[in-house]
Amino acid sequence: MLTEVKNQIKVVFLSIKYSVMRELLNRFTFISNVIFMMLNNASMIIQWLVLFSLRENMGGYTFKEVLLLWGIASSTFGFSRFFFYKAFSLSSIINEGKLDSYIVQPKNILISIITSDISVSALGDLLYGYIMLVFYGLSIKSFLLFTYFIITGGIIIAAISVILNSLSFWFGNTDVIAETGNHLMTNFATYPDGIFKGIAKALLFTLIPVGISNYIPVHVIVNFDLNLFLINTTVCIFLIYFAFITFYTGLKRYSSSNLMSSKI
Amino acid sequence: MAVIEVKNLSKSFKVKLKEKGLKGSLKSIIKPKYKTIKAVRNVSFSVEKGEIIAFIGPNGAGKSTTIKMMTSILYPDKGSIKVMGLDPSRDRKALSYEIGTVFGQKEQLWTHLTPYDNFKFFGAIYDIPEKAIEKKIDELRELFELDSFINTPVRNLSLGQRIRCEIVASLIHEPKVLFLDEPTIGLDPVVKENIRTLIKRMNKEYKTTIFLTSHDVGDIEKLCKRVIIINNGTVVMDDTMENLKYHYLNKKIVEAKMKEMVNLEDEEGITILKDKGYNLKIEVDTTKKSVSDALKLLNPDNIIDINISNVPLEDIISDIYKNRD
Amino acid sequence: MKKYLFIFKSEIMTNLQYVFNIFVGFIGYFVMLFILFNLWEYLYSDPNELINGYSMTSMMWYVVITEILYSVVGGRTLCKKISNDVKSGNVAYNINKPYSYIGYSVSSHFGNMFIKFIMYVILGLGFGLIFIKKLPNLSLVGIIFVLVSSFLGLLISTLLILSIGLFSFYIEDSGPFYWVYSKLILVMGTLFPIEYFPTIVQKILVYTPVYVVNYGPAKLFVDFDIHKGIGIILAQIIYVIIAYLICNHIYRKGVRRINVNGG
Repeated sequence: MLTEVKNQIKVVFLSIKYSVMRELLNRFTFISNVIFMMLNNASMIIQWLVLFSLRENMGGYTFKEVLLLWGIASSTFGFSRFFFYKAFSLSSIINEGKLDSYIVQPKNILISIITSDISVSALGDLLYGYIMLVFYGLSIKSFLLFTYFIITGGIIIAAISVILNSLSFWFGNTDVIAETGNHLMTNFATYPDGIFKGIAKALLFTLIPVGISNYIPVHVIVNFDLNLFLINTTVCIFLIYFAFITFYTGLKRYSSSNLMSSKI
Repeated sequence: MAVIEVKNLSKSFKVKLKEKGLKGSLKSIIKPKYKTIKAVRNVSFSVEKGEIIAFIGPNGAGKSTTIKMMTSILYPDKGSIKVMGLDPSRDRKALSYEIGTVFGQKEQLWTHLTPYDNFKFFGAIYDIPEKAIEKKIDELRELFELDSFINTPVRNLSLGQRIRCEIVASLIHEPKVLFLDEPTIGLDPVVKENIRTLIKRMNKEYKTTIFLTSHDVGDIEKLCKRVIIINNGTVVMDDTMENLKYHYLNKKIVEAKMKEMVNLEDEEGITILKDKGYNLKIEVDTTKKSVSDALKLLNPDNIIDINISNVPLEDIISDIYKNRD
Repeated sequence: MKKYLFIFKSEIMTNLQYVFNIFVGFIGYFVMLFILFNLWEYLYSDPNELINGYSMTSMMWYVVITEILYSVVGGRTLCKKISNDVKSGNVAYNINKPYSYIGYSVSSHFGNMFIKFIMYVILGLGFGLIFIKKLPNLSLVGIIFVLVSSFLGLLISTLLILSIGLFSFYIEDSGPFYWVYSKLILVMGTLFPIEYFPTIVQKILVYTPVYVVNYGPAKLFVDFDIHKGIGIILAQIIYVIIAYLICNHIYRKGVRRINVNGG
């Protein structure tokens, strides 16, 4: 069991290393992708400068805390798209029958697929978050917590994407649904939870768990709370489990089903 | 002991029908129509250790579906499969260490990396220790003559070199059974010949059982001792290469452009398929007349252009059907 | 003109199949509006308050309109498509055809946006009416002005994005330029009107695409006045010409570059 996990991790890192090597073949594009993504994120600061000129406090967040929120949003997004990029196009892999070459390999199919490519611009997102952390206030504690939360948050985002994309096993082309779901997470992730009330707020901590992947980390970094910390971790583990179950149930259906969606 | 044992295998697909035009596409959203295609029906066969077996048939005959069922990708509707004693639909991981696959058009190699790096990646997938991988690569490099390009990125290789690398990549973990799906598709004749020689050599060296699909009669003639022909999802013939050759591959098609007209009517062993004056198409029955004798009849000085080919697979299959009745 | 109409029509046909996709895409729009409505409700402690000259309801209607225009353009897909055309050599291939590449791309993209636009307008106004309840005062003339300036705004966006896509003649990947362009349009004219910026910044913004792309039509919708209407449409016409010239220039230079280098 342990060697199996070790071997799997070795393959994952080799796969990511090879992808990075490929992208580095064109250094200019690589660097411009990373830098422009950071600029792209930075342009949203304008929005908050305008809003904070109207009020000093936005939904319980100071300007610095909004920067931290943005940092978490950007880095979780970046983490998920850098390490698990194919989790976001799983639907097309399923529909184009590209699963086959992974099925004949003795490794975990889902892990092999989602780590088989990287997004370069995601590296910009990942780094941008740390710059925001510096603006918020860098300390050993905030650095460690931040890093921990972008890993759990990144995994939560990727797991949700796997679940939504796996719907393709049942309903054909569902990439739009998956994309919308991912958009939803990203959109809410950059607004303070204090501006939402009632049902909306409840949704953000359940069905669209941005609250868990993004708001909780901000609260915990600002003011440590063990319970919130544990909620974040538990939900992360649960979603990993749920993502695997969904994917493998779907895969079984794919293998044993009789549906071929081609034009005749 | 049989390496592959397939019994009464069946699999059918439902295919979504799509009508033409705007109305059709609206209809298919609201109420899709399906058509059932029986891709594989009641197929049985077994393969012994070290055999090179050809699994042939025209496009859409059910070859790929059968291979996919033997490699854990699809599960059968009915029937059973045992590969190395394992059930593909249940023992995926265990089976994957035992088998190698090369799916002609689908690339499994990283194109920006060298073959060498690719092989190391596959070594890692199959948990082979670093040293053992290197030893294996050395060995295969020699066998498949990869020396001149083992350090060139795959995207800069010719199609033939790539296929060689694909085959080597699928051999890194020393599989007992190798599935080759259309390995020579899209290659020119010289390269095809070269790949065939290498496959034969590999089979001799490692005693690997090879299960090969193709719709190229040439592949089969050169490589295999046994042939299974499949059409419309059923096994049409399961016989030795010798028998197939004797009964069905005994004819050559000769197309020639002539300077002068020749009369070949009433010649034994020659059937005229087409005769448009100077353009002639004949079928030579090699059991009755050798090709060289046939050419003599045409008179080599008289030939402007000539093309000699095998009878197409489709014709052989329809011949087999005819002979059954 | 007839051929462009044909391209436009066939693009609509293919897009009808994707009505479902548009519908799902609308969820994204709905969510964005939902967030922004929450934001404005939070910011306006008293609904009768005016911030930078806008009441809460006019701020909400403002984003209903700008988000329609921002979503309908679908810039990322367009930019990618143009990039691919350039890289695959499709652009050079189009040279020999009896229509201009820019004309082709614009009409094809308008065909692409047509159904999307109608759906977004219906659903956007419906959504607005449910949540905001009251429509702004708008005369028939006002509606015509809003429609014309929306059309011109979309045309300018299309031409500008086309220009960015055509940058692929010079660099491997023009995507990053598009990200920054779209984000600037988002934060400056889409999320709030230019009146929210300091006076000096406002004076500069009036001369940028921000003023004509999304701000113009939305401003006319929430606060119509004939002088402003004429001013905005004139500015838009000037911008259409400028954007076309830029686009055409990049295209011609790029194609010549390909011909010199032999693709």
